[in-house]
Amino acid sequence: MAEPQFTPIPRNLQFRVGLLIGLTVMIAIGFVLFVLYARGAFDQTQRLVLIADNAEGVAIGMDLTFSGFPIGQVRRITLRDDGKARIVIRVPVEDARWLRTTTVFTLERGIVGAPKIRAFSANLKDPPLPNGAERIVLRGDATEEIPRMVASLRALLDNLQSITGPGGSVQASLDNIRGVTERMAGKQGALDALLGEDEAKKAGAALDRANALLTSLGGVSQRLDAMIAKADARVLGQGGLVDGAQQAVGQMNAALGEVRDNLKRVERILADAEAVSGNAKAATADLAALRAEVDASLRKVSSLIEEINRKWPFQRDAEIRLP
Amino acid sequence: MSTPAAAVGWFRAWLHAALFGFACAAAALSPSSYTPQTRAIALRQIYFTAWQVLAGYLLFAAVLSVIVVHITVATTFEFGLSGYAVELVLRAMVLELLPLLTAFFVALRSGSAIGTEIALMRVAGELDLAHAADAGPMQREFVPRVIASGIAVASLTVLGCTTTVAVAYAAIYGLSPWGLEEYLQVVAHVFSLPALAGFLLKCTLFGFVVAVIPIAAGMSATRDAKSAPLAVMGGMVRLFFALGIIEIAALAAAYA
Repeated sequence: MAEPQFTPIPRNLQFRVGLLIGLTVMIAIGFVLFVLYARGAFDQTQRLVLIADNAEGVAIGMDLTFSGFPIGQVRRITLRDDGKARIVIRVPVEDARWLRTTTVFTLERGIVGAPKIRAFSANLKDPPLPNGAERIVLRGDATEEIPRMVASLRALLDNLQSITGPGGSVQASLDNIRGVTERMAGKQGALDALLGEDEAKKAGAALDRANALLTSLGGVSQRLDAMIAKADARVLGQGGLVDGAQQAVGQMNAALGEVRDNLKRVERILADAEAVSGNAKAATADLAALRAEVDASLRKVSSLIEEINRKWPFQRDAEIRLP
Repeated sequence: MSTPAAAVGWFRAWLHAALFGFACAAAALSPSSYTPQTRAIALRQIYFTAWQVLAGYLLFAAVLSVIVVHITVATTFEFGLSGYAVELVLRAMVLELLPLLTAFFVALRSGSAIGTEIALMRVAGELDLAHAADAGPMQREFVPRVIASGIAVASLTVLGCTTTVAVAYAAIYGLSPWGLEEYLQVVAHVFSLPALAGFLLKCTLFGFVVAVIPIAAGMSATRDAKSAPLAVMGGMVRLFFALGIIEIAALAAAYA
């Protein structure tokens, strides 16, 4: 036997080796049992089927997480007849209480790492998800978004470039603004900018003329004021038109009184004449005198009327009716 | 030695090792191999291969784990992937690195010793005498050593991996108990049943070749004492490649 004789063989060799082997076997069996337990081999599970457009990256054994905690595992992935992926997930009955009929499932794929299947339950009081339920899984894919984003970003940048580049509209607008501000800073100022050079000159001239017009209008209004004051004095003042009218009315009243008296005398004379009808010749002298008086009275009246007409210009009806 | 002759020799050596391996496996499955004598040899072999070095080996595993965990956690944190640190550590250390290191350790410590021992027995002509007697050297000398090497590799691997799992937890989470649930979740996730089966198969193959290839190499020695070093050297090189091939095949099966 060539076994190293210089190494002493302990007396409890069997015990030590037995201990080593026993420990190894115990750890190995314990570990296998633990793994079986932790992977849910002894749990009662229920089935959940997720339907996805694309199950790329989904692997058997992947976790379904709820609030960051794994509550189920992918058991099977198959392709359905309609071309969609069918992901069968086993959820321990104990953890199935987090899944409700309104739960939303997402399959999110980041730029790095495996995709993640997540469950979101908004209301935990909804009825629980039944065993074998089929749900559509919503996909969120960062890497799929990137090319689309880049394409739209490129279009945006192209637009921006065409707007801001030489000959672009922003450049043209800026040029226009520069021209306008230059003209505003020039001799004619903002008017030049607004109307152009010729028009600005015309506008300046128009303003000058308007100023002159306003000055002469001031003189006119002063003269108008004086004229109105004079008219006032003539119509309403001492010895004015109204005063004259009043005097004329007084004179007219007196003249009319005289006419009435004369007419009464005519009446009386006519009565006398009737009484003395036999003596007509004698009465002729009286008649001639009376006639002269009547003529005089009539002349007075007509002159009075003429005077009134002259002094009262608003009186249109110049007729006087005699009895 | 010309190149074709070397190639033929290389091929014959591998063929010899493979045939010897099959013969050993067949003998190990035969109940008649298990006698008190073979049991004593196996116990001694396990004792020298595993028990004697256990403390040092576990210390080595723990130190290596701490360093690898720190590197992995720091690197994954830098890349913003710290969520994968635990899984990465478990996969790299427990599933791949430690079993391979254990196999190399046992090969260096015991495989070379076994190969030399068999080669010396061959030089001394002991195997011829044994062959002449009714109990063949296969059952009397080889089977206990192969079985013992397998058990030693398995024991060291299991205990070393357990140490690593514990040390990795302490290195990642500290001594707080609150990371335990999450950690065990990841452990259970990494050690799926196919992974466990592959791990078991790989460890069994490691334990098997660690004894079989050196013994087969020792057998190739002649009565000439100068042939022993050559035989042992060839056996150790073949053992290195065999372990490498098994590891590569396991990696390819698991990840490719």
